[in-house]
Amino acid sequence: MAQDSGTRTLISHAQLRRGRGRFIYWALLTVVVVGFTLVFLGPLYWMVTGALKSGQEIAQTPPSLFPKDPQPQNYVDAWNNLDLAKLLFNTFYYAAGAVVFQLVLDTAAAYSLSKLRPMFGNVILALMLATLMIPAMVLIVPQYVTVIDLPILHINLLDSPFAIWLPLVANAFNIFLLKRFFDSIPEELMSAALVDGATPLRTLWSIILPMSRPILGVVSIFAVTAVWKDFLWPKLVMPSPETRTVSVGIYAFAGGTPMNVVIAASVIAAIPTVIVFLIFQRNIMSGLTTGSLKG
Amino acid sequence: MSVPQYRKAAALALVAGLGFSLTACSTKSDDKDTNAGGKVTITVDCQPVGAQKELLKNWNDDVAEFQRQNPDIVIKSVSVGEQCNNPPDFTARLAGGTVTDVFYGYMTDLQQVLDSGQAMDISQHVNKNTIPTWDSVDPALKEVFTDGGKLYAVPVKNYSMGLVYNKALFQQAGLDVNNPPKTWGEVRAAAKKISALGNGIAGYSEYSAGNTGGWHFTSLLYSQGGQVLSADGKKADFNNPMGKQVLQNLKDMRYGDNSMGSRQLLQWGDLLTNAGAGKVGMFIGAPDATQAIVSQFQGKFQDWAMSPLPGQDGLAKGTLGGGEGYFFKKDLTPEQVKAGLKWIAYQKLTPGKGQFDYVRAKPQNYPVGLPQPLLFANGSEAQKQELELRKANANVDTANFAIFEATPVPIKGEPRNAQAVYAVLDAAMSGVLTNPNSNIDALLKTAEEKVNQLLAAES
Amino acid sequence: MAITTVPGTTRKPGRPTPPHTGPQRTSLGRKVRDNLTGHAFLIGAVLCFVVFSWYPMIRGIVMSFQRTRRGETTWVGWDNYSRIIADPSFWPAWQNTLYFTVLALALGYAVPFFVAILLNEFRHAKGYLRILVYLPVMLPPASALYLFKFYAYDPSEAGLFNAILKALHLPTSQWMQSPEMTMPAMVIASTWMNMGGAVLIYLASLQNIPGELYEAAELDGAGIWKRIRHVTIPQTRLILALLAMIQIVATMQLFIEPLILANGAGAEDSATSVAYLIYQHGFFQNDLNGAAALGVIMLVVLAGFSAAYLRLSAKQD
Repeated sequence: MAQDSGTRTLISHAQLRRGRGRFIYWALLTVVVVGFTLVFLGPLYWMVTGALKSGQEIAQTPPSLFPKDPQPQNYVDAWNNLDLAKLLFNTFYYAAGAVVFQLVLDTAAAYSLSKLRPMFGNVILALMLATLMIPAMVLIVPQYVTVIDLPILHINLLDSPFAIWLPLVANAFNIFLLKRFFDSIPEELMSAALVDGATPLRTLWSIILPMSRPILGVVSIFAVTAVWKDFLWPKLVMPSPETRTVSVGIYAFAGGTPMNVVIAASVIAAIPTVIVFLIFQRNIMSGLTTGSLKG
Repeated sequence: MSVPQYRKAAALALVAGLGFSLTACSTKSDDKDTNAGGKVTITVDCQPVGAQKELLKNWNDDVAEFQRQNPDIVIKSVSVGEQCNNPPDFTARLAGGTVTDVFYGYMTDLQQVLDSGQAMDISQHVNKNTIPTWDSVDPALKEVFTDGGKLYAVPVKNYSMGLVYNKALFQQAGLDVNNPPKTWGEVRAAAKKISALGNGIAGYSEYSAGNTGGWHFTSLLYSQGGQVLSADGKKADFNNPMGKQVLQNLKDMRYGDNSMGSRQLLQWGDLLTNAGAGKVGMFIGAPDATQAIVSQFQGKFQDWAMSPLPGQDGLAKGTLGGGEGYFFKKDLTPEQVKAGLKWIAYQKLTPGKGQFDYVRAKPQNYPVGLPQPLLFANGSEAQKQELELRKANANVDTANFAIFEATPVPIKGEPRNAQAVYAVLDAAMSGVLTNPNSNIDALLKTAEEKVNQLLAAES
Repeated sequence: MAITTVPGTTRKPGRPTPPHTGPQRTSLGRKVRDNLTGHAFLIGAVLCFVVFSWYPMIRGIVMSFQRTRRGETTWVGWDNYSRIIADPSFWPAWQNTLYFTVLALALGYAVPFFVAILLNEFRHAKGYLRILVYLPVMLPPASALYLFKFYAYDPSEAGLFNAILKALHLPTSQWMQSPEMTMPAMVIASTWMNMGGAVLIYLASLQNIPGELYEAAELDGAGIWKRIRHVTIPQTRLILALLAMIQIVATMQLFIEPLILANGAGAEDSATSVAYLIYQHGFFQNDLNGAAALGVIMLVVLAGFSAAYLRLSAKQD
């Protein structure tokens, strides 16, 4: 993010370097850093330590800042009783599949709509975009009965990862993003490749895709987040304990599990994603800021 | 563009189509091994979950022993979660047709199961030959699972609600463990004493969310002698002095005495979690609530006892009863049905075996000697055997349940359309438990209107 | 995740697309073949749209006029609609959902924007602050909500929020147990766990505002607020409008917050949302047809919203 240090923003650099401006800047920065740490990191601290407290300690008034008698056993119980390893594996498996399916099918579709422009392409695009206004909740019941018994094929997709992967492909927002990006790739490149006798697939593979890495990154992030954040759909289509996602699994067990253990499970469930995020945070941030949604 | 290239592109784009057929193979292959090698395979749900270590081991041992005795039957156990029948998941499985071959359901589920078309009529299969103790099973329970003269499930558990109380807290509060409260007034007095122990302990605890509030309101109303719906099931019948008394009792305890704790909007697991942590003095529940407190919520069964449901003056005029059974999925082969019945007969309906294997259960961390399940008819042969075994192996003080057993309160079933009615009554319960200024008359009137509207729209 | 190894530099924007310069006159056979290729690339995604979006759309409408009982489906006209409207929770659910939408727009929409403006001004601790804001997004939603339910919103004085309020000598609250606080409390939790994404998207668009505009405004004597009003907001209008629409569509689907924070309906139906009612009917009360009808009602309401929105934004242009 080297480029923005030089860019003029709302308030000029010069103003911030002068006496009063400088004081306000540093004061505000301190307030924000402390405030944000409390607001965003504080609850996480509460979570990690809360899961170490005993049932009695959690109920005590006022709440204690440090666990007096740490109970690591809560974490062990959470790991074992909720079968978190399985839940986490499922969630990552669904997320990985979602990325693959969306990258392959949505990219192919956006490429076709942007560059190959077959007949009725615009009609298809319009029909796709129309679904943007339809919230998932409206479709949840008919989608569910469809997944139970796919038309014509009469297959039941319950407990199959395809029940998560395939509906996610029907994502107009991603196709729209990809298409817009492909639209900005100069047509001459395409024609040049065509003159060289390259097939559309080859052009896509060796010209378009290498130029599109940022947007592919964005689509991947969206795909992962969608699986990670979704709740009701996986709850409905993955009814068996063996196929549940983390969120659904924690919910399913919360009703019958002491709350320290639920919180301990939440902490463990968050660790892998936070690590992945911290490792890739530069890529994720710059992907989100460069690839998508320029104003 | 050359033809092979075109094919490649098409193949790539058709991954989705391939995906369908791949899953088709994988899901189908699982189900179609029923008669491989002359063996009959059935799937059965409600296997205990991993957290219930001993129960799970017992179940698995039972399966192993059963398969040893019946080498041509294979039982595949499926665990569906902590609560074998969590309404939304149950509905999803029914609608999705993913129920197991032999599947668990509540007595109140019969209509829903029939609506889904997932269960088969097993009348012609169930008799003394397939289930040796069948003639001893309480006819009233068989009736519950019968529709239009056809039997759809085998009852495996039956209970009625009473007052469950924590003996340890009773002693700490200076109350007589052997003389539990018999009226709501006495419950209130006891709750006040118990909550005076402090430490966030609730003297009496009650549900008000997730439809469980309405469920308990029903039981409390029965104790007053009331009913939720009129006899013809067409009108709400709780907006009367009895319904008001139910809410008034709760309001007095919650805000008059502040003896119900500050955490409300509880549902099933929430209350039992608190109970397991020793924070609840009394609540109403079935005898198996103590079992759940021990197996899932880290409580000690020695702490718990049970007495009959209290009433307004003297014992309750009625109590809510319920129970469970196993249904059979449609389209099973006669061999599979027979195998399923044989398994149920072995694990659920034979004194000394399976759930009645009290010798095995006695040293385990589970209560033996609870006055349940009331499966066999009074005076039947199986009942006598079961009672003898239970007495001989009890690890809880059966005296704690003596009053409960000696004073049978008339049992009433759940109302028609129970879940929808319960959802409405939740609001009345949460109103009285979370709002110090709640107006009981208004709460009941609203609930009555709502239930009437609901019933009118139903028919 | 290997694909996300994106170079940290801005991609050079492509030159404006020239008019299509491909071979103009081609044989019919070639045209057909080109079209086939194009559709071959499309078919995977289109199939998914057909099966999981377009068909369910129609099926939902059909289902809302049917009733399935004992495996037999019959046409019942408007029965499902009258039953769902007669549901005592129908109007409270709409009231709650709209209330949530308004509150979430006020809080969940404005807060990330101003946080983004603030973060964009800082020259220090940038990375740290961004990571902080995005951290809650990493939690599984159920976890984040249990965190609020068990610790923050505990109605006794053992609860975190009440302990803080008490330490400040302010009145404590019953949080999810008080009908007045139910919705605000849900909005707070929901904003906390979701705002990271919006902040980053705003930041991205703020960085694309040409610095000269601010300079010009400053020369004209515009103060900070004026600069925000006349430069920042107009320059990010498109993204603001897009996110507003996304936000409305998202908040209308309020589900997991009431389910976990309020165990469903909350105190006297104060937490029931339309989405929760759909779930109640479909999966608690064995009434998939009624649930489908409510889904169609929701669709009509949102279509009304969208139409109004499009008309408004068309007028502005």
